[in-house]
Amino acid sequence: MSAPVWQRRRAAAVDVWRQFRANRGALFGTAFIALLVLFSLLAPLLIDQRGLEVVTATGGSLEPPSGEYWLGTDESGRSVMLLTLWGARVSLLVGFAATLLSVVVGTLVGVVSAHFGGWISAVLMRITDFFLVLPALVLAAVLMAVLPTSMWTVIMAIGVTSWPTTARLVRAQTLSVESRPYIERSKALGGGHAHVIGKHVLPSVLPLVFANTTLVVGGSIIAESTLAFLGMSGPEISWGSMLDRANQSGAVTAGAWWYLLPPGIAIVLVVLSFTLVGRGLETVLNPRLKGER
Amino acid sequence: MTTSPTEQHATDPDERRDGTSATRYVAGKVGGALVSLVFVVALGFFLFRMIPGDPLVTMTRERPTDPEQLAHLRERLGLDRPVWQQFLDYVAGLLQGDFGTSYMYRRPVGDMIAERVWPTVLLVGTATVLAVLLGLWLGVRAAWRRGGTFDRTQTGIALALWSMPQFWLGLLLLIATQGVFPSRGMTSVDPPDGFAAQALDVAWHLTLPCLTLLLVIYAQYMLVMRSSLLEEMGADYLRTARAKGLRDDLVRRRHAVPNALLPTMTLIFLQFGMVVSGTVTVEAVFSWPGLGLLTYESLRGPDLPVLQGVFVILAGSVIVMNLLADLLYRVVDPRVRAS
Amino acid sequence: MTPLLELQDLGVTYRTADGDLEAVRGVDLTLQPGETLGVAGESGSGKSTVAASVLRLLPKSATVTGTVLLDGQDVGAMRWGTLRAARWSEASVVFQGAMHALNPVRRVGKQIAEPIRLHTDAGESEIDARVRELLGQVDLPAAKARAYPHELSGGQKQRVMIAMALACDPRLVIADEPTTALDVIVQAQVLDLLGTLVEQRGIGLVFITHDLSVLASTCSRIAVMYQGRIVESGDAKEVITAPRHEHTAALAAAFPEVGDPGSRYAPATAEPLPEEGERDPQQPVLLSARDLRVHFRDRTGATVAAVNGVDLDVRRDEIVALVGQSGSGKTTLARTLLGLQRPTSGAVYYDGGPVPVSTSGLRDYRRRVQLVLQDPSSALNPRHTVYESVAEGPRIHRLGGDERDRVVRALEAAELRPAEQYLTRLPHELSGGQRQRVVIAGALALDPNVLVADEPVASLDASVRGEILGLLLRLRRQLGLAGLVITHDLGLAWNVADRVAVMYRGELVEVGAVEQVLLEPRHDYTGALLAALPSAGRDDARHEC
Repeated sequence: MSAPVWQRRRAAAVDVWRQFRANRGALFGTAFIALLVLFSLLAPLLIDQRGLEVVTATGGSLEPPSGEYWLGTDESGRSVMLLTLWGARVSLLVGFAATLLSVVVGTLVGVVSAHFGGWISAVLMRITDFFLVLPALVLAAVLMAVLPTSMWTVIMAIGVTSWPTTARLVRAQTLSVESRPYIERSKALGGGHAHVIGKHVLPSVLPLVFANTTLVVGGSIIAESTLAFLGMSGPEISWGSMLDRANQSGAVTAGAWWYLLPPGIAIVLVVLSFTLVGRGLETVLNPRLKGER
Repeated sequence: MTTSPTEQHATDPDERRDGTSATRYVAGKVGGALVSLVFVVALGFFLFRMIPGDPLVTMTRERPTDPEQLAHLRERLGLDRPVWQQFLDYVAGLLQGDFGTSYMYRRPVGDMIAERVWPTVLLVGTATVLAVLLGLWLGVRAAWRRGGTFDRTQTGIALALWSMPQFWLGLLLLIATQGVFPSRGMTSVDPPDGFAAQALDVAWHLTLPCLTLLLVIYAQYMLVMRSSLLEEMGADYLRTARAKGLRDDLVRRRHAVPNALLPTMTLIFLQFGMVVSGTVTVEAVFSWPGLGLLTYESLRGPDLPVLQGVFVILAGSVIVMNLLADLLYRVVDPRVRAS
Repeated sequence: MTPLLELQDLGVTYRTADGDLEAVRGVDLTLQPGETLGVAGESGSGKSTVAASVLRLLPKSATVTGTVLLDGQDVGAMRWGTLRAARWSEASVVFQGAMHALNPVRRVGKQIAEPIRLHTDAGESEIDARVRELLGQVDLPAAKARAYPHELSGGQKQRVMIAMALACDPRLVIADEPTTALDVIVQAQVLDLLGTLVEQRGIGLVFITHDLSVLASTCSRIAVMYQGRIVESGDAKEVITAPRHEHTAALAAAFPEVGDPGSRYAPATAEPLPEEGERDPQQPVLLSARDLRVHFRDRTGATVAAVNGVDLDVRRDEIVALVGQSGSGKTTLARTLLGLQRPTSGAVYYDGGPVPVSTSGLRDYRRRVQLVLQDPSSALNPRHTVYESVAEGPRIHRLGGDERDRVVRALEAAELRPAEQYLTRLPHELSGGQRQRVVIAGALALDPNVLVADEPVASLDASVRGEILGLLLRLRRQLGLAGLVITHDLGLAWNVADRVAVMYRGELVEVGAVEQVLLEPRHDYTGALLAALPSAGRDDARHEC
């Protein structure tokens, strides 16, 4: 019996991929992200890390692009290109880790509040709405200010402030699934909470959560860079901390565009890729949006 | 013809209870906002006093302080008393406008906030109004001709802007327009005479910060308006409107847009927190002397009493804005009045 | 005389992702002024597409062939300006589902006034007076002009739609399922109103519906559509009483006349019913409610008694029909009997003992008493195959034995044969009737003793209706299954039920044998329900022309 079921699942996956592939932006985004992830994993093998240390840097301060330094140097004489390539590691790690935290919390809160209803739901939604309207960046910055500074605090601060949107989305989707008669039928057959959530709610909510996740990654990467710009970052090299140093070292007044552009463009490309992939997935997976585009 | 029993059942109670439900609605929303405000104050208090360990250590981080000074500080801040009492003192202080004393400037935080409010209101107000107008207009046009050239380019631009860190956009604008617009502050060092000239001077300084804030937030408004109009496009009442012989633009203006505008409005107000976050970075980039810059300075300090005060004020204002939105929504959307 | 509306060889094709779909093929129709034409057909027969093509309201994906002549003018050849001028002033539409066809954020008065403003140059006070007059004609107080659609009941909204359709004195009105989703009593009122207006003003009316019996009392001529074609047309009485096409016959049989002995215990099913065996009138009571009450709080905090002191027994080997209008509390009663809703007071008994409230006790109870829902397309998880849906119950209850065997047996009992063919199908690959059979099979897989069916055929096509009802009757006769069928349809009760319970505002106002309650009603409300039934044989079918 299970063989036809798997065949079906595979056919469904192939179908999603076929529709997804028709969306050129989403396809470009997927390719770019895949390449960047692969590169970030292999970076320690490809990049000479001495070029990242201030003491072993060889160039002059804020040198414009040249044959030796394609994208010029920073204020300590390090290659901007090297820094940008290396910075992908932390930016992506923070983006993914914060997203994981945020999506897990959000999904849990969303499903629980929609499924059980009553006072649990009221309390959870009250908290969600509270965090939803708060200026997330300000709250994250405040958290960073009172906690010891490290990359993990950054992840925590972003994760803790970005889950409410996911919770809202998951709750809405769960409510719409739970209002379908087949849930009533399942209960009438004798299915309990675990059965209804496991067999009916989660399978239909998770695809959307997945689409939403890619959007959250983009948001987290922007949040990381903004926090870094406000001086709230660990000692690691990330795109955000590069931009912060560029700003602090007077690269703007010096007109050192080569120091400002590469990390910023990297952020835009990555976030745009995640956004395109997320929107592409949403159109394919969300039945309500079918036919849009 | 007599009306059937079911029909009476469906309408009568509605008409009777309209008055009482209005008060219930307003009371509910105001009560909810008050609870949120208490949350914010509690969060503001406990974040700064409770995590992690001794608040004095946090406060004096990176500042050598001898034991005698510490003891003095402890007593002056009331840290030797139980936490709940400290909280009550804090709330009592807030109610009298006492936000504590700045670490760096040795000035009352309340005064510092008060003088920074209006520049922020000016910046945020201008940018929001322009962003709403621009975003809604572009969103409607893009959705109505979905998939067309206008839609594709505008959606593309909006997505690109949405993917940009705001401060970076500000820095780019600064570099690109080097020297054309003033790079910092709200007035020239040597302000001109006369009200009109001074207003022009401020407007001149406002241009870049306002543009930066505007660019990122209009993009969101546009995307929201576009998708909520797209959702209305298949609605049956639009077919009714067409069947009546209405021109396409009248169908859009009279029927589709008013319906799509309502969910958009909610989202715009819900995202007000995002605008506030954006203000912090924009003011930091352009040294605009508002609450955002004050936040930035207190983060850099760190000047925790100032940060605490700014946090409570910014979060509180977002909650008040949302309350206003809820109340306004009831006036605008007839359906909310009933449910 | 130029016909008001003439369709010549009309064809409509929709471009879809899965290729072209011919929705309408070679349709010819004529309508003279003052005439009423009924178009009957099931969902997907193309009848609504025909309606939309008259005013060129089809979506962009549609290609139209043939000609539509409106008062002699070719609609297809009209320029946009001319077409817009013709819309609503020449011909107007009463759309299906007034709930969605009205703009939710505009006052209905404004919506009625809109076409007047557009097509005439009447002044403000004139328009106001006209709106008031129109509301008066559809029996609504003028004050309702200031109401928003959500403040009106279903019947009131439908009247607003009719007032709107008459706003510009059109010569042709197209009514697309104007009474679907309305209660019988309200439906009768709306039909009456339409008929009167047509008669008074001499306008032409095209009346589209799936319910032949409605057409019988309103129309002079009927055209029956099936798979995009007109399969039969002619004089209304003739078409209904002596149908020539088998599809017309199926449609006509789907709405039996209460009191017709030929349709008693005889739903329109192709498969013969098993002989009625010896029936013991003193079968044990399986499911019963004693003084059951369910109260809800509405949003103002006032208490609403959805179920107000109900006593009801369902015996083994009998089908009880629970009849009432929407809002009468019948669905709440069913949910409470199944333990899906807690009663405020009173109790439900199964097989002599009270129904347990504990989680595990309820689970055992639910093996015995099973539910069949109204809309089979949403009662099945679209991601689950037929096999998974039917096996869901046995898996929850960890029933031993061969699961596959159990599933196959349940499907065959629900008359899906050969069962193997259906196991791996997904709900969207099945027809409505087949889906409902899968739902029933899912219930049967647990070997229940009682089936509670909530409007089991309300969302099915007319020709499938009889088959599902036949299945219910067969299950009772063969397995001795008890059934509680909740319905708004008195014909259904006449078709299959042994006893009827009439529910009105949370109370059972009349309970008794079908023949007694439906032929000699004692309560006024039962009488009102019966009087509202449209009937082919009724003498007062007065709107014939």
